[in-house]
Amino acid sequence: MSQQETEILANKPGTDPRHVAIALHHARQIQAQKDAEALILDRILDLVQFPTSSSADPSSPTPEDARAFKSALTPFQPADYDNLILERNIEGLCGYTLCPHEHRKEDPRGAFRITWGAKGSGPGGRGREMNIVPKEKLEMWCSDACAERAMFIRVQLAEQPVWERRAGDARGSCILLLEEERARSQRQGNGKMRSTASVNEVAGQLGDLHVHEGSSSSDVLNLVAKLSVRDDARSQELARERGDAHPALYTGRVDINVQENSRAAGPVIAPQMRPGDEIGGSIEGYVPRDH
Amino acid sequence: MDEDYSTGSVDADREMTRLWRTWRTVFEMLLDRGYEVTEEEVQIPLAEFKRKYSDPLGYPDRNKMKISARPTEAMQAKYTPLPSKSNPSPQPDCGTIYVEFCPDSTGVGTKQVRAFNHFVDENNFHTGVFITQIAISPSAVRLLSGVPGRICEHFQEQDLLVNITRHELVPKHVLLSPDEKARLLERYRLKESQLPRIQVNDPVARYLGLRRGQVVKIIRKSETAGRYASYRWVI
Repeated sequence: MSQQETEILANKPGTDPRHVAIALHHARQIQAQKDAEALILDRILDLVQFPTSSSADPSSPTPEDARAFKSALTPFQPADYDNLILERNIEGLCGYTLCPHEHRKEDPRGAFRITWGAKGSGPGGRGREMNIVPKEKLEMWCSDACAERAMFIRVQLAEQPVWERRAGDARGSCILLLEEERARSQRQGNGKMRSTASVNEVAGQLGDLHVHEGSSSSDVLNLVAKLSVRDDARSQELARERGDAHPALYTGRVDINVQENSRAAGPVIAPQMRPGDEIGGSIEGYVPRDH
Repeated sequence: MDEDYSTGSVDADREMTRLWRTWRTVFEMLLDRGYEVTEEEVQIPLAEFKRKYSDPLGYPDRNKMKISARPTEAMQAKYTPLPSKSNPSPQPDCGTIYVEFCPDSTGVGTKQVRAFNHFVDENNFHTGVFITQIAISPSAVRLLSGVPGRICEHFQEQDLLVNITRHELVPKHVLLSPDEKARLLERYRLKESQLPRIQVNDPVARYLGLRRGQVVKIIRKSETAGRYASYRWVI
């Protein structure tokens, strides 16, 4: 029992300690959420000032800047990242945090622009791909390269808000810059970018994943037996996932006492004929007279 | 050349007139909330407004447009919480209000809001109203509402072009004082959570600057009973 709980119970005698514990548990959850939102706002305000030097190169940022940027992004959701981009654009900067340049300013006339893809990107592998893009989307960045870098960061962010994430959730905590990812995939020897992983590769990996026909049914039974239903470590993990990890909630939110009906356990007797049953019997105690 | 000048002056005229209507709505809002404003301030004619707040080119100069007003005695009484055991002589929870028009016409973000927050905090205003020409960014909204101990509100100029409470379909909303609220709850034997509700970001609630937990009385015209009063709890 925490100090707060004892204080409340001392001030208001007659309060159910379980109710106090549950109320405090929810209050703490809401407070944690508010704290996280304030933290994200602070981080956005910090990241608007990035990079630290105005001559920084967005393709090879200083290690300090890159590290600070990545660690600051840990609690972000994609929507928060969009807010950061918007905030940087309002300041007149490129949306990519590690880029010191100004964002593009297009001709104010016309709300849309046509962009052409690389040669051979059109339908059927001929011609160029054509996209109609809102002007604001283009004006977010200083160049297409920065747009790619920024969007690569965005897809790595976790969709879940930080106060709902689990302790061991790696997603969103190890973010790679586009340059790092390219260097890594080159080191691995395939020299390809991740985005060009072909459909065939993926299909091949799925093909390897087939069920072993050789395993007998007894093996399966053994495996099922190992799947214990009451696993304390797992149930604790489940409780944490559901937000029931508080000690007051270990027994569940509702008291359940199962009482076995002892009379039901006696021997069962076959029904016997009662008087009057041969003429149809009574209907809930009423014997019809007319036959 | 001549034509250019004339289109420019028409533009300036239009913007000035729009801003004049916003300005008057702001004063009506202050009056309805219970701040000390004079009749002349509320009913400023367009010509005088133009003379006072336009730059040499005829465009409005929003840097000059700053208002501060003190609450009237009646408003202070309305905002004084009931005395309790721990607080036998409560102070009214309202104070000087400060209204600022943001001069930037594009991209209002955290920078301007931070400057505004800083100004409100430094001059010890109780409430700040920040009026911009365009929508402000989501982070700026969060920053504006996160000033501890002060209330900062935001309106867009176009929201205040007409005074919504003067529309015939909008009933009269009257804020109840803590004392009146206590009497209402006692008379109907209610807990406050049993009242109907109104959201704190309802347009009229925003106009009146209502806060969570207050109760407003809504007086409607009724065909059968003449007048009909209902109550709303602000959440």
